[in-house]
Amino acid sequence: MDEDLIGIKNSAISLILQAEDLKELEELKLQFLGRSGKLTLALKEITKIPVEKRKEFGILANEVKQTVEDTIKEKEIGLKKISKTVIRQKIDVTNPGIKPLLGHLHLVTQAIEEITTIFESVGFEKVRYPEVEWDWYAFGALNFPENHPARDDWETFFIKTEPDPKRGPMLLAPHTSGGQIREMERKQKPPIRMLNIAKCYRRQSDISHTPMFHQFEGLVVDKDITITNLKGTLDYFAKSFFGPQRKARIRPYHFQFTEPSFEVDVTCGVCLGTGCKLCKAGWLEMGGAGMVHPNVLKAGGIDPDTHTGFAFGWGVERVLMMREDLKIDDIRLLYSNNLDFLQQF
Amino acid sequence: MNIKILDSWLREYVKTKASSQKIGELLSLSSVSVERIEAHATDFIYDIEVTTNRPDLMSIVGIARETATILKQNGIPAEFIPLKLTKPQTPKKELIEIKSEPKLVNRLCAVVMEVEIKDSPREIKDRLEASGTRSLNNLIDVTNYVMKVTGHPTHVFDFDRLNAKTLTIREAKKGETIQTLDEKEYSLNGGEIVAVNDKNEIVDLLGIMGLSNSIVTEKTKRILYFINNNEPNRIRKASMSLGIRTEAAVINEKNLDRELSYDALLYGIQLYKEIANGEIVSDIIDIYPNKIGKKTVQVTFKKVDKVIGVKIDPQKAERALLDLGFMTKIIGDKLEVEVPSFRIGDVEIEEDIIEEIARIYGYHNLPSVLPAQTQITAHKFANDYYWEKRVKQAMKYWEFTETYTYSMVSEGMFEGPLEEAVEIKNPLNEDFVYLRKTIVPSLLKVITDNKSQEEIKIFEIANVYNKRPRDLPEEILTFAGVIKRNKVSFYEVKGIIEQLGSDLGIKNLTFKESQKTGNGASLYLEQEYLGEIEILDTNLIDFELNFTVLLKHATLKQEYKPLSKFPSVVEDLSIVVADDVKTEDLILNIKSQSDLISRVSLKDSYKDSRTFHIEYQDPEKNLTNEEVSKIREKIISSLKTAFHASVR
Repeated sequence: MDEDLIGIKNSAISLILQAEDLKELEELKLQFLGRSGKLTLALKEITKIPVEKRKEFGILANEVKQTVEDTIKEKEIGLKKISKTVIRQKIDVTNPGIKPLLGHLHLVTQAIEEITTIFESVGFEKVRYPEVEWDWYAFGALNFPENHPARDDWETFFIKTEPDPKRGPMLLAPHTSGGQIREMERKQKPPIRMLNIAKCYRRQSDISHTPMFHQFEGLVVDKDITITNLKGTLDYFAKSFFGPQRKARIRPYHFQFTEPSFEVDVTCGVCLGTGCKLCKAGWLEMGGAGMVHPNVLKAGGIDPDTHTGFAFGWGVERVLMMREDLKIDDIRLLYSNNLDFLQQF
Repeated sequence: MNIKILDSWLREYVKTKASSQKIGELLSLSSVSVERIEAHATDFIYDIEVTTNRPDLMSIVGIARETATILKQNGIPAEFIPLKLTKPQTPKKELIEIKSEPKLVNRLCAVVMEVEIKDSPREIKDRLEASGTRSLNNLIDVTNYVMKVTGHPTHVFDFDRLNAKTLTIREAKKGETIQTLDEKEYSLNGGEIVAVNDKNEIVDLLGIMGLSNSIVTEKTKRILYFINNNEPNRIRKASMSLGIRTEAAVINEKNLDRELSYDALLYGIQLYKEIANGEIVSDIIDIYPNKIGKKTVQVTFKKVDKVIGVKIDPQKAERALLDLGFMTKIIGDKLEVEVPSFRIGDVEIEEDIIEEIARIYGYHNLPSVLPAQTQITAHKFANDYYWEKRVKQAMKYWEFTETYTYSMVSEGMFEGPLEEAVEIKNPLNEDFVYLRKTIVPSLLKVITDNKSQEEIKIFEIANVYNKRPRDLPEEILTFAGVIKRNKVSFYEVKGIIEQLGSDLGIKNLTFKESQKTGNGASLYLEQEYLGEIEILDTNLIDFELNFTVLLKHATLKQEYKPLSKFPSVVEDLSIVVADDVKTEDLILNIKSQSDLISRVSLKDSYKDSRTFHIEYQDPEKNLTNEEVSKIREKIISSLKTAFHASVR
């Protein structure tokens, strides 16, 4: 009798484990545990067993029944899991997905974000100074002579209002460099590491100029700031913004508010420095930089005998367009607000 | 400004075996930018950009001096060969008297010569044409040739056509007219520097362009060769306002070397003798009221090293300065430098000398070193820029496209009375005259400019400008957006603002019926006015918010509230109530009925009925049905009394 029970258990377990779906499992359940199932019938045989052996048989019978039931239960859970994946969605993986809504940030915003992160990572502090300025901040304190062409009506926008007796005419900031003076006034004393990003305005409109544009201005003033520090900072920026394959250089230039002054070039993204029709002998001009002129430090209340500094001011749109992958050849596109254009980015 | 020079012409003044490529490369690194080197038959043309502070480099002699200096510093043999000039014998005869004023002209040199007009020799023609100047005849070509070599503009008159025993230099009066040599008529603004003959006829617009009534013609026999070094600001003003931007004007408006005027005269005389059979028939006139003085600048080598960042060899530095034309003297640790006349306008202070030393040393030879952090400053993470970025990101993921429209608008796009506008005195055109006080009109223009798109969601964050008396305008960072879609809902725009508020940690946003626009809402943040939502049409809604107010309240501060151990009971309650009753008032009323009401929101509204979603919760225990139904009865009776509401 015991052997019969073991045999039934073994065959039940092996059949259950082999069952391929829930229907087959249900059938097996009936076959063994149903009212006239094999195991049910076998258990009924207990009456035929001698009384002294019934207890032992009973224990074994219960154990077998329990094992079969447990196996069925486990198998059922397993099959249910499988059945979920078995009922498959009919799909065409090449059909378009159902996309969540997505808008677009302006390229200038994207560039400003990158520039900010690059400079904040080396300790620059981002600020924003007025777009409508006094001549003093835009020119006077920056060592521009009274009759400098930039102060002409032809280059700078002036505001129709009485000039301030001390700070001169009111104008639209033609560059972010006025922020140098404002930052020195705010900080009162070095060290200064400013990143000023703001809108600027000039009376120009052509393929590479719009009357409104953006600049980012760096100013570092401390005890021992040298030309090598300026070079280090702009190399760091060029590598971070344009990638390691592009090189930067500084060469002599002229600005009123820096001495010495530099023009910063980056190797052309198209020819990578060998020279082509889009660049100047392999180089593209990124913008101006220089060691802060002692008169500018003085205007900002800093002693040029104890402190030196460097500054740079570059066009956001310009560095953006110098990227090798973007290929925008007319700056005015950025301000066309043509949605088909804006939604490409 | 740019100058184009033939390689072979340059090499007349600098002797070297360096290739033109090498010359171009080193000039760019240490002096002027050589933007292009073009092949020209067996020769090359350098196209060079010269900065405005160095008019002395708008010349072959100037570029040659720089070239020789830089080549030598880089270990390449080179020698600068200056222009050799001698004063010719002249007859002691005065054919013309020139009267000038010191406030107009710094120096004036002139001479009368008998000449023969013809074509210039091949080489002179070639050199001029390669540098972008058209060859006309030998008399004109000499003036251009002298300008290219020396950097000083010069002029030639037909002496007989001048009709002048006396040539008077004076300021032009407003309304006087002239005809330039290209036969264009101009009415003068007054203040230009002009020359008049005995009949007070204007015969020259000094420093800018010759006039048709006095220029040389095929019949010219006698010339007045004329070099004028003018007050540069007057030239700039005249040239810009008349719109005559000749090369001479561009150079004359810079601070030009006055010593050079005489060299230009002598070189011209030499050339007229060589290529026009020129013969001097008058004494040389040299009126030089504004002489320049001697100028010295001192710098310590310590300071030189401190600014450049590396140790500079004093001997090498001194050599470079000597080659550039400075006189030098070393006094202990100090270097005393005497500035040559052609650099007087540009070298003033020790930093200027440091620049000369550094650039000739070569910026490319300096190391790159990031500045050291000398002070610990806390990095403010959640600053204004952080919030601006966060809002922009949210807008992007909510399907908005960001625009950048101009701060300047036309009269038609300016909202509000014009006397409140910040106005540009010299606008570029009528589209950009006033600084905007609102952004929405610019966005609406974007909508009309993009007619092909049926659904548009755009936004912008930019300054608007509020005029203030005797002060800079207040610049207010403003956040505006427009949605264009068929049947766009007010609640969609309100929802965006509410959700942004919650993302910025802002509570207490309130919406009131708009007093401003009639159809929309006015927004307040803790009593402070924030902005407007405005329904313009069934398919057009805009909003404009004062972003600085949002910034004031934005916070990353967060506080944990213990999670409830007991489940809440949730039910919906539909009531019928008059449509002028505000949902907000109903919600406040419901909430006030019991502390056990944890949340109330409008789930749905349809015609005169509104369904509220009410959540009951007791933090201490499970709520029973009786407790909930007691509160519900209270709510219903209160709504009935307060708002005549009935349960549906």
